[in-house]
Amino acid sequence: MAENVTLKPPSRQTPGAFGAYAKNIGDTAKSFFEGMSVTLSYMFRKPITTQYPDRVPVPVRDTIPPRYRGFLEVDMDICTACQACERACPIQVINIDILKGDGKTTPKLRMERFDIDIGKCMYCGLCVEPCPTGAIQHTREFEGSVQFFNNLVLRFVPDPLVPAVPYKPPKGSESFPRRPLGEITRRLIVAWDAPTPPFPTKEQLEADKPKGAEAKKGALDPAALGRQLAARALAAKEDKPKLQKVLEEAMAGTDCGDCGYPDCFGYSNAIAQGKDWAPDKCAPGGADSKAMLETIIVTLKTGVLPEQPAAPAPEGKAAVGAPAAAPEPAETQGPPLAQTLPKDELYKVVLDAMAGTDCGDCDYPDCDGYTKGIVYEGQKELDRCAPGGEDTKAKLYKIMLGTKPPAA
Amino acid sequence: MQGFLDNLIRHFGHDPATWPWTQFVYLGGMALFAFAVINFAAITAGIFSWAERRVAARMQSRVGPNRVGPGGFLQWVADAVKLLTKEDLVPAEADKILFRAAPYFMMVGFACVFVALPFSHRLVIADMNIGIFFIIAVTALIVVGIIMSGWSSNSKWSLFGAIRSAAQIISYEIPGGIALMIPVMLAGTLSTQGIIRAQGGLPWQWFVFDNPAAFVAFVIYFISALAEGNRTPFDLPEAESELVSGYNTEYSGMRFSYFFLVEWGNMWVMSALATTMFLGGWQIPGVSAATLDAATGGTAVALELLSLAIFVGKTLFWVFVVMWLRWTLPRIRVDQMMNMCWKYLVPMSFAAVAFVAVWMLVVHAVPALGLVMRAIMFVLGVAFTVFFVYRTAQNIRDTGDKFDFTSNW
Ligand code: SF4
Ligand code: SF4
Ligand code: SF4
Repeated sequence: MAENVTLKPPSRQTPGAFGAYAKNIGDTAKSFFEGMSVTLSYMFRKPITTQYPDRVPVPVRDTIPPRYRGFLEVDMDICTACQACERACPIQVINIDILKGDGKTTPKLRMERFDIDIGKCMYCGLCVEPCPTGAIQHTREFEGSVQFFNNLVLRFVPDPLVPAVPYKPPKGSESFPRRPLGEITRRLIVAWDAPTPPFPTKEQLEADKPKGAEAKKGALDPAALGRQLAARALAAKEDKPKLQKVLEEAMAGTDCGDCGYPDCFGYSNAIAQGKDWAPDKCAPGGADSKAMLETIIVTLKTGVLPEQPAAPAPEGKAAVGAPAAAPEPAETQGPPLAQTLPKDELYKVVLDAMAGTDCGDCDYPDCDGYTKGIVYEGQKELDRCAPGGEDTKAKLYKIMLGTKPPAA
Repeated sequence: MQGFLDNLIRHFGHDPATWPWTQFVYLGGMALFAFAVINFAAITAGIFSWAERRVAARMQSRVGPNRVGPGGFLQWVADAVKLLTKEDLVPAEADKILFRAAPYFMMVGFACVFVALPFSHRLVIADMNIGIFFIIAVTALIVVGIIMSGWSSNSKWSLFGAIRSAAQIISYEIPGGIALMIPVMLAGTLSTQGIIRAQGGLPWQWFVFDNPAAFVAFVIYFISALAEGNRTPFDLPEAESELVSGYNTEYSGMRFSYFFLVEWGNMWVMSALATTMFLGGWQIPGVSAATLDAATGGTAVALELLSLAIFVGKTLFWVFVVMWLRWTLPRIRVDQMMNMCWKYLVPMSFAAVAFVAVWMLVVHAVPALGLVMRAIMFVLGVAFTVFFVYRTAQNIRDTGDKFDFTSNW
């Protein structure tokens, strides 16, 4: 085309009326000619567009960046049932139903349901961050057209009657055998074109009820188990390692660290050593763990097993029992540990008080860094551990200054 | 076709002139042909709608509809089904009766053209001796439908579109009609079949290469036909960007699709007419019309089909050109449209008629001159085509692209 553009100034002045008339006709003919040859030439070239989705050379999901946040995927083989993702989700997209067991004949925790409603998810990624094993991840799947909106729910536990057993990560491990990303979700997506299951009728719901109860027959009765554990704890009161084991049985056992201790051992050991009397820190264990721990702690403090109709021990009773055992006030009086212990010992105690998530929220690279800062470098701010919350703060004030933290 | 029915009656041992049922046979035949013609028009229009989208897509480096059926061919069926199932809305303030009737007026004006339009040597519904006149007259019926729809919609966009369309069709009727007079003069008849018979099978025997004025007349006719068919660059009556959609804005569902049926069907009509008048119609190269008349039995059928294929092939080529133009040219303004008609096409068509009249006298006196002129015109036409192909190939080469027509359909 380029050689056709002439930049010569017009050789003549304004053409006469007839000249203009003829020129218009000539221009029209010429622009038709050129224009049509250009369009025709495109007709014989390869189109630049690609037909999505079935004629693309590689699936589109494989061409998008690896950190793309697509549909979520949970590898149930390495999910510890800690429910951190469920708690993290700001809009309750994730639903995990936990079935409790006694830890002997049945596993302590099993997941009856692990649903992620992709139709609601806003792909914020907040659920991915707290996951201790990387079980929940964003895939690069994004094609979510379905005939029925309900089909957008990804069920990672396909059958509630076959609950999934949580993964027990080996102590200290940092990588987990995750299946290739996308494999699981892709399989679930295939079912998306299925017609949505019909709503159960009233009769079906009625018929389901006893069946549901039956299915839970093997499940534990927290009150009974709590008394049982309390009896054993009382027997092992002086044997701290044994006591710790008994206490750990009342916990969910996911080692998620939500309690502010690095794992279940940390929390149970703290109770066994009499350093921590709070029964309600195990979030995965929920109300059951709390009730059981409460029963045990009350029993330990009072030295008496609670009565048979074991309603969860009321707070008042615990308070009454407190002065008798009273390791707590004993510690609060006296000089703070910071003045009595050598620095290296102090370091261990302080580190123990941290939430142990190594999140870096304290502006140190990890828990270790913050601890060193406090113990060796004179860091005065004791309220930087956000994951540990009020508990860590209280402990740090107690250890370092021997006082209660200032009211917020 | 009357002759065909007469033969049929004779075949059953009656005399069509005296047999009392003759008129009923004619009526039945008319109903049958009307049915066939309307279906032919609807189906070709549908197929063109698909073809146009594919052509447009290729010209814009896209692929176009390619999902329904092989190569997306059944897309038009899917569209028709969709339109059939849509609600047929009539605006509250519209003139209900006129609004409902307008699409049928368009359809009638459009379908009537097929009565005189030839398809092959024998295949024409009525070989009227006023064929061309009839065609020009009934196409004007479309403008009635357009004005009806624009007026009855009671919407300013529709009315604008309708008025523009009326102005356009009436204006372009003049150069278009006069341009069509040139083949009529050359052939000495108004009958479409007669005009085709006056031409030959080989390109230099076509009227378009008869003399320069005939070529100009062909161009004028083609431009006018585009304008009358509301095709780009003359699609002012339905300019989406200014009038939303023009006279058919308020229509929906099947009634809306009638308008488009007419528009796409019109492509066939204008191309078939161009083929008939200027491009030798169904004439088979090397086989004279007299040979065709004389042929009997299997040869007759074979020749008939060949002539049909030739006619359809030429027509489809011009249909393609119409689509091609649409995706090449921008829409012109109303004043440009009027300028073009009254300042250029009308004077030129008159000049062409005068030239042809004189030329016919010259050729009558010196027949050799006619042959020379045909030869020159033909050579120029070939040279033009070759140069065009060369330019197109150059356009592809210049961008470093290459010819690739088959991949990614
Ligand atoms: S990505 Fe965000 S919204 Fe989606 S499930 Fe995870 S936390 Fe919830
Ligand atoms: S292990 Fe990960 S996926 Fe499983 S419950 Fe915990 S946070 Fe969720
Ligand atoms: S005790 Fe702590 S680490 Fe163990 S499951 Fe409970 S919150 Fe998680």
